[in-house]
Amino acid sequence: MIRRPKSIRSSRRSPEVEIASWWRRLLGFLFELEEPGDDTVERPWRRNWDYLPKRSAGPGFSSADYAEARRRARDVARLTLGEDQWSALQRQGYLDHPSRLFPGLTYRLRIGRRIEVLAPPGTPMPWEHRFLCINPTYPLPEEEFLAHLFLYVRDREDIIVRVAAPQPWDQTLGRTF
Amino acid sequence: MGRIIVANRRGHQVVEWDTVDTEEARRQVIEAERILREARESGCLVSRKVGDQHVIDHQPFDPAAEEYQIVAPIAGG
Repeated sequence: MIRRPKSIRSSRRSPEVEIASWWRRLLGFLFELEEPGDDTVERPWRRNWDYLPKRSAGPGFSSADYAEARRRARDVARLTLGEDQWSALQRQGYLDHPSRLFPGLTYRLRIGRRIEVLAPPGTPMPWEHRFLCINPTYPLPEEEFLAHLFLYVRDREDIIVRVAAPQPWDQTLGRTF
Repeated sequence: MGRIIVANRRGHQVVEWDTVDTEEARRQVIEAERILREARESGCLVSRKVGDQHVIDHQPFDPAAEEYQIVAPIAGG
């Protein structure tokens, strides 16, 4: 194990910052303990991720780790969507998919943002607001989660309807990065 | 060779199994089937590659499948 020399700055931090740092280190330590030593594939469904700050992949994730995760996620998103949908996403910046359960409605999927529900004038909306806040239960790169959302909207719209939290405004998702 | 794409914060990781009839391949198939079952029991969906895209799949694990993906559970808010 390589130990970094103690930073001079760290001894001058405020008590609040020290406490926050201590908690992050503790959580990170516990986090590592949960990983079986010989298990090379991380199975995120085994953990509870509620303690994580928004837009975070967890303790110990470096900027290089984020960049690599996003690169790998992009590959899988393309593979998941297929070339037609992937091309449409690159061209438009979003994917539209018509609702099967609510004729006339269209779900607009955008990377890292809430689902926007589009309805022509006169079409009844099943929700009070037009932005549906839906997150993965564990942290995922944005593009990968968009591909997952597309699968839900196309193949399991019933789950979208069941879990969606309608909101009056647009916003970035909290559990993606 | 079949594979499961495990989407996670790393972007993705892959579990592979060989389709030849060897003891090692049988172990890989058992492990792949176990991962898929565990993910489903934990609320994940599973998609399977059909043509050039993935579709949600509710069938039991098929060792002849080319590619599966574990799809994250979702929650509102």
